[in-house]
Amino acid sequence: MRYLTELHVLIAGGGPAGLAAAIEAGKSGLNVLVVDEGIEPGGQLVKQTHKFFGNENFYASVRGFDIAKELLKEISNMKNVEILTESTVIGIYDKGVPVLHRENDEVELLKPERIILATGASEKFLQFENNDLPGVYGAGAVQTLMNQYGILPGENILMIGSGNIGLIVSYQLEQAGANVKAIVEAADRIGGYEVHARKAKRLGIPMLLKHTIKKALGGNKVEGAVITEVDENWQMIAGKEKEFVVDTICIAAGLTPSVELVSQAGGNIRYIPELGGYVPERDNDMRTTASNVFVAGDVSGIEEATTAMIEGKIAGLNAAKDLSRKIDEKKLGNLKSQIENFRSGPTSQKVRQGLQKLGFTLKSESFTKNSDDNIEKYEGKKRPVIECPEPIPCNPCETSCPVGAITVGESINSIPTINYEKCTGCGICVSKCPGLAIFMIQELLDSEKAIIGIPYEFLPLPQKDESVYVLSRDGEILETGKITQVTNFGNKTPVVYVKINRGYIKTARHIKPVSHSKNDYVCRCEEITVEDVEKAIDEGYTDFEELRRYLRIAMGPCGGRTCRLNTLKILSKKTGIPVEKLDPGNFRPPSVPTTFKAISEGSEKNE
Amino acid sequence: MKRLTKHPVLTFKRGKKIKFYFEGKELSAYEGETVAVALHANGIKNLRKTPKKERDQGFFCAIGKCSSCLMEVDGIPNVRTCITRVKEGMSVRRQRGRGEILD
Repeated sequence: MRYLTELHVLIAGGGPAGLAAAIEAGKSGLNVLVVDEGIEPGGQLVKQTHKFFGNENFYASVRGFDIAKELLKEISNMKNVEILTESTVIGIYDKGVPVLHRENDEVELLKPERIILATGASEKFLQFENNDLPGVYGAGAVQTLMNQYGILPGENILMIGSGNIGLIVSYQLEQAGANVKAIVEAADRIGGYEVHARKAKRLGIPMLLKHTIKKALGGNKVEGAVITEVDENWQMIAGKEKEFVVDTICIAAGLTPSVELVSQAGGNIRYIPELGGYVPERDNDMRTTASNVFVAGDVSGIEEATTAMIEGKIAGLNAAKDLSRKIDEKKLGNLKSQIENFRSGPTSQKVRQGLQKLGFTLKSESFTKNSDDNIEKYEGKKRPVIECPEPIPCNPCETSCPVGAITVGESINSIPTINYEKCTGCGICVSKCPGLAIFMIQELLDSEKAIIGIPYEFLPLPQKDESVYVLSRDGEILETGKITQVTNFGNKTPVVYVKINRGYIKTARHIKPVSHSKNDYVCRCEEITVEDVEKAIDEGYTDFEELRRYLRIAMGPCGGRTCRLNTLKILSKKTGIPVEKLDPGNFRPPSVPTTFKAISEGSEKNE
Repeated sequence: MKRLTKHPVLTFKRGKKIKFYFEGKELSAYEGETVAVALHANGIKNLRKTPKKERDQGFFCAIGKCSSCLMEVDGIPNVRTCITRVKEGMSVRRQRGRGEILD
């Protein structure tokens, strides 16, 4: 089962922090064992489908599951590092560390010289009536089902919580084809990054602020949910309830560190709400008050995977140093200053407050606001518009630009600035931006039209010349536009260009396919659907009389009263010819259903 | 619930199709899936009756932390089915109560 005989470093948890720690400790030549509960290593990275913020040293603009692959690949080349999955550290004693191997249901006692606890976190569980019904899932559980195993958690989802996880998972649910009915947030503003909120908003997901969940409805599984408004003291307001028909309630109320093993190892823990709950006391080498035990990642305070990896590396290097291995001190110093930079921006304010309570002094860096880019001055040029409203520690726009037109600068929290003189309009930044916050625009000066380029991570991917709905920032349909170009950059974020009315250049920010159900009828008499009409138009029947002969539209008993105008409108939308310029076709008798008897008897009398 | 076949970002490589049993009824799964995930894919969210109040419960966290997915697997109770691989011929039952100590 295990090939390592002499064990130096035991790492509990094979997520981003544990794997990063294993890599650093392993590089020093130590024998390292990573023990992970899951059936595959990688922790929560394996279900993260979004591109990460950060800089290129820490996988910026790479999707989480790809980061896991890269870390595991690096480890697979190290003979002295072993990963055990389906195994759990079940306690820490003076005599040793018992590890449960689930596969053969055996406990093995290990005696490592150093322990790195990278046990992560668990989801916070909200209190409301019937919150234990099957179908009330943590946001992480929804991601596991959907992104790790490819199983849709439900059809209709209510998301509770608008932090980054709630926003990201809502977007991912829509990507997978589920319907997010609303994102419910008790505070009066959205908790997560504005760029993540915008991604969800332009899909048309309603954001219900100052609301909270009151109860889950259903017998032995979720069939609905009741939410209600809350006042400024977070108390539910009676009579302000709203009911949703949903099969899944997803709770994204945050995470709390899994500190059980830290405490068992003799490490002090303290309650620091800003860091998610009880957290270990530790120094900036990630050493706990139990001198042989280090921590890294969410267990040391809820943050995100980039800081988890940096902490892991710091812990790994220090474990190696403890065991008299030669380490790169400069690298250790760099890692410490990198993590401080990451935490220096306004989005890390809460983390800084928490860490200050633990005794750290942290810098809070100023950032530079977007200077005036003179976007209007370059009217007619194909160019990106950067809608990066918050100082997030992130710079792939800068590093991906092939001509150096985008600058974030020294402080990674700064908002990018673009030099439109240098910009060639290639669109790479649109595809690379982890926040999907960059769009291309180009005014077509010889017409009232414009082209916008949108990062589009949905299926089906539209084709050139296809008509699509153009959506506003709030997911409202503005108009129908035609796709002019689809550019693929090989990172699963294609940039889709669509021709729009120039008036929408500042408001149009998403598209969706023009699609109809199989039972979307235009003609009641002859049972002809929107899809039938559109298909016929695509086949080349672009005149009303042609459509009539081909589909029998307007040939039924109502004589076209119900369907004629609707058909003409579809024809107009598809061909771009206004209805008033289309031929409405003939109006043939009889104008109402008439029996043969009436006609034949009448004609006899009239003769 | 639906197994996704197409996704804009992910590709799902599923293992061999296998059979397992839930409450004696034959269901299908793919190798590499966990028991709880395979049950969910078959539309089964209700995994156990709680020991005291006999309430229906399913998983909450799906990563082995919350212990709400405890089921009886091949006669052994208290198995965390969200992190246990489903296997050919496995027999899974809803757990009622805390489970008996086996010989």
